[in-house]
Amino acid sequence: MAILEGLNKVFENKVRLGIMSVLAANGSADFAALKSLLDLTDGNLASHTRSLEEAGYIRSEKKFIGRKPNTTYLITDAGRAAFAAHIDALERFLKDCRS
Amino acid sequence: MKENEVKQTLDDIREMMSKSSRFQAISGWSIIVIGLLAGIASLMAAAVIGVADVPFFDNLQRYSTLNTPLKIRIAALIALILFTVCLIIVFVFAIVKSKRHNLPFAFDKRMRQMLLDFFIPLIAGGLFSMAMVMQQHYGLTSSIMLMFYGLALINCSHYTYPILRWLGYTELLIGIIDCFTMSHALLFWFLGFSVAHILFGIIYVLMFDRKNA
Repeated sequence: MAILEGLNKVFENKVRLGIMSVLAANGSADFAALKSLLDLTDGNLASHTRSLEEAGYIRSEKKFIGRKPNTTYLITDAGRAAFAAHIDALERFLKDCRS
Repeated sequence: MKENEVKQTLDDIREMMSKSSRFQAISGWSIIVIGLLAGIASLMAAAVIGVADVPFFDNLQRYSTLNTPLKIRIAALIALILFTVCLIIVFVFAIVKSKRHNLPFAFDKRMRQMLLDFFIPLIAGGLFSMAMVMQQHYGLTSSIMLMFYGLALINCSHYTYPILRWLGYTELLIGIIDCFTMSHALLFWFLGFSVAHILFGIIYVLMFDRKNA
């Protein structure tokens, strides 16, 4: 379907789109914050952040706070561009539906 | 993909961006309650200090045996108790609201930053007005409280809804007018801390709390 051109396969998943929404709005977020915002389990969130990292849309920084490991996720420039393009495509689709 | 599905997706994105970046847990009802309590507190202060604007409170002064520094200190104590009670109310209402609507409420980095941005101007203003009272310069105390409170709200408002920024501008403006007006301090204090809170609280409830209820 030509009309859906520009939609990003990676963002077809609701969880991944949610992660990108949080990171696009805030620049960065740590694992715990993402988990509670999106209401996910550790494993579920980890698998989706991994796939976004592999796509190059986000990157992670691991550090220790005391003895506890803490992972912060940051949106990359490529991720920002891809997310914006995806939203543009969705909005274009809506416009075409209406006209 | 259907039209509705796409619309829903865009709404979800918008909601998640807003939910994650804004501190939505603040309840409009708590702002109204603060306004009501501030109203009661200004009546109490008026009874202690007396106000030229209201003959009833002025007449009370004939029976008062307190001297001016003591009266001002009692008024300052009322303000301090009011402030503490209001802080507790905002927190309790926010915790209840966040539980009810499943909003994030944690003492995380964002919350710490927001509290810091709010309290730095506020504490500076608090110390400033305390110093003025201790040196017996009473005239500008209410303007200092109003102005620094306004600045504190403006300073932390980007973590929450823009309407709190407007409340901040309003407090600042009332404080500035108060500076240049003689002997109506308590009236301006009442306008800023009671009337403005009740008005903005009602707008806040109508805009954000009712919608989510």
